[in-house]
Amino acid sequence: MTNHPAHTRRSSPFRSPLRRVTALLLLVPALLVTSLTGPAFAEAPVQWEDNGPYSPLYVITILVVIPVGLFALITLLVYLPSMMRKNESYQPGRPWRNESEWFGGPRGGVGAVDSTEQPLAVSGSDHSKERGGASGQW
Amino acid sequence: MAPVASGDAFSAAQRHEIDKAIRDAETVCRCEFSVFVGRSEGESRPFAERLHATLVAPERSILVLVDPAAKLLEIVTGAEARRVLDDAEVQLAALTMQSAFASGDLVGGIVQGVQQLAAHARRPQVRHEA
Repeated sequence: MTNHPAHTRRSSPFRSPLRRVTALLLLVPALLVTSLTGPAFAEAPVQWEDNGPYSPLYVITILVVIPVGLFALITLLVYLPSMMRKNESYQPGRPWRNESEWFGGPRGGVGAVDSTEQPLAVSGSDHSKERGGASGQW
Repeated sequence: MAPVASGDAFSAAQRHEIDKAIRDAETVCRCEFSVFVGRSEGESRPFAERLHATLVAPERSILVLVDPAAKLLEIVTGAEARRVLDDAEVQLAALTMQSAFASGDLVGGIVQGVQQLAAHARRPQVRHEA
């Protein structure tokens, strides 16, 4: 058996009261500060006009209805373009009615193919055997 | 004659997705990727090869042609690209794309296909053969 447990048990009674006192002492400033501060004692300045009580409806309108309305309006404005575009984009199963799109193609796009068709077709025929690939249908 | 184009084929997010797939693929392997989506004029294979020939570096380029109207898919690899990506591997990628297209996922099929082509083309070139 090792004597580690006995050692810690012996030292704990000496350490715990010290810890408790330190903890209490550390709490004192915090307690002092929180107990000394109360509600502000200052009265409203004389220059402030008394506008009279507001109706709850008015308060709710200013603080709730207008912010929520603005929130809804901004959200709608943000999402509206994408909601409208959704119908335009290609839906699977529909016939393709869009213009061709070429990712990573030459700057001229498909128009460039037609204009340079002849010379490239001739030069391409030499390499046509080296060319590979696959075809598919679905 | 083809009907008048009714707006863009892809949303900005979808276009970005495809662009990103192509860019990622080009960093993975040393080939250049190009994806054409649209009607092929005339026979699809010669048309795809013509598109491939107009690319900047056809030798090391891979062109993917997708014709959603005719439900056709063509993949053309240049001579140099073919060295790291043989036709059987291209066929595998084509099958992946076809199954995605058949389920109606055009963008997903393109992205998966490009990724798969790049992954197969990644194979390091053997410098010393025993």
